[in-house]
Amino acid sequence: MKEVITSSPFFGITISIIGYALGNALYKRTKKAICNPLLVAIAFVILVVLLFDIPVANYQNGGKLISMFLSPATVVLAITIYRERNTIRKNALAIIMGTLGGSIASIIYIWGLSRILSLDETMALSIIPKGITTPMALSVSKALGGMEGLTMLSVLVTGIFGNISAEMMIKLFRVKSAIPRGVAIGTSSHVVGTSKAMEIGEEEGSISGVSLILTGIITTILSLIIFS
Amino acid sequence: MSILNQIAIIFGISLLGEIAAYILPFTFPSQIIALIILFVLLMTGVLKIEHIKEKSDFLLKNMAFFFIPAGVGILDEVKEIWPVFWKLIFIMVSGNFVAFFFSALFCTLAMKLTGRRESR
Repeated sequence: MKEVITSSPFFGITISIIGYALGNALYKRTKKAICNPLLVAIAFVILVVLLFDIPVANYQNGGKLISMFLSPATVVLAITIYRERNTIRKNALAIIMGTLGGSIASIIYIWGLSRILSLDETMALSIIPKGITTPMALSVSKALGGMEGLTMLSVLVTGIFGNISAEMMIKLFRVKSAIPRGVAIGTSSHVVGTSKAMEIGEEEGSISGVSLILTGIITTILSLIIFS
Repeated sequence: MSILNQIAIIFGISLLGEIAAYILPFTFPSQIIALIILFVLLMTGVLKIEHIKEKSDFLLKNMAFFFIPAGVGILDEVKEIWPVFWKLIFIMVSGNFVAFFFSALFCTLAMKLTGRRESR
């Protein structure tokens, strides 16, 4: 009976939706970055799977169908760039230089520190794209032969920490104007950070939104050139 | 446009991206090729946002949902990750400071550069 229920694709899809709804409700109530809906949803599904001793492969029967939407979800980010094309045009050099500088520094730092701490190469490759938006990070990880789950973890930790620490970092590095603030938040902590940038200011928010996509594209191209 | 047509447009562009990725002589994620294709179609006016509005709003608004299965995939990797868990967390969190600092730095430098050029 359990096998019949859990191996149906509807099972995986339904518990994912329940977890996501729970996460959204919790986030709305608390407004805390740590209650990130995705994090809560993943934790919920893992809890259900472990508690009822359900094979992960059974869950993934439905999971695979959900993952299929990762590509289309990346593709529509083009609309965000299109909507913000005037913001980009006005600040093109500052945004490009900032995202490029941040991406290169991040790749060198992660790779270097992973070597110093003698981490396994596959793990290092999995966390190279930690600062970019999830669908792009997953595609980089896949292309480099990384571990998908670890990549997801690194993207979530980075986003949530970036969200919580954005105001502290602005003070720490004395970033005074809106453009570098937005660029730095978007480059270092993708969508989850960007939601904080939107709270800080409208200009910070839209610049951060554009920067996260550019950083994603730059990091993808660079890491594929360097590591594949 | 009907929701089915919108799905067909976005899935069709995703498929084009996959074909292009297959033809390219080097590895490159099909999603990003498809993103560039959609951007070009919008810029050239071949496609209008209204053509794909509901479907893309649905994808953009519920973006995070589609990553749940990938995140659950960590269950298969726990054995390898656990012994180095804190090292990994340290790299992730300290990496935020590096990315933040350098992007703010280069961005500010670029602004000073262009600012000077304008005032000349």
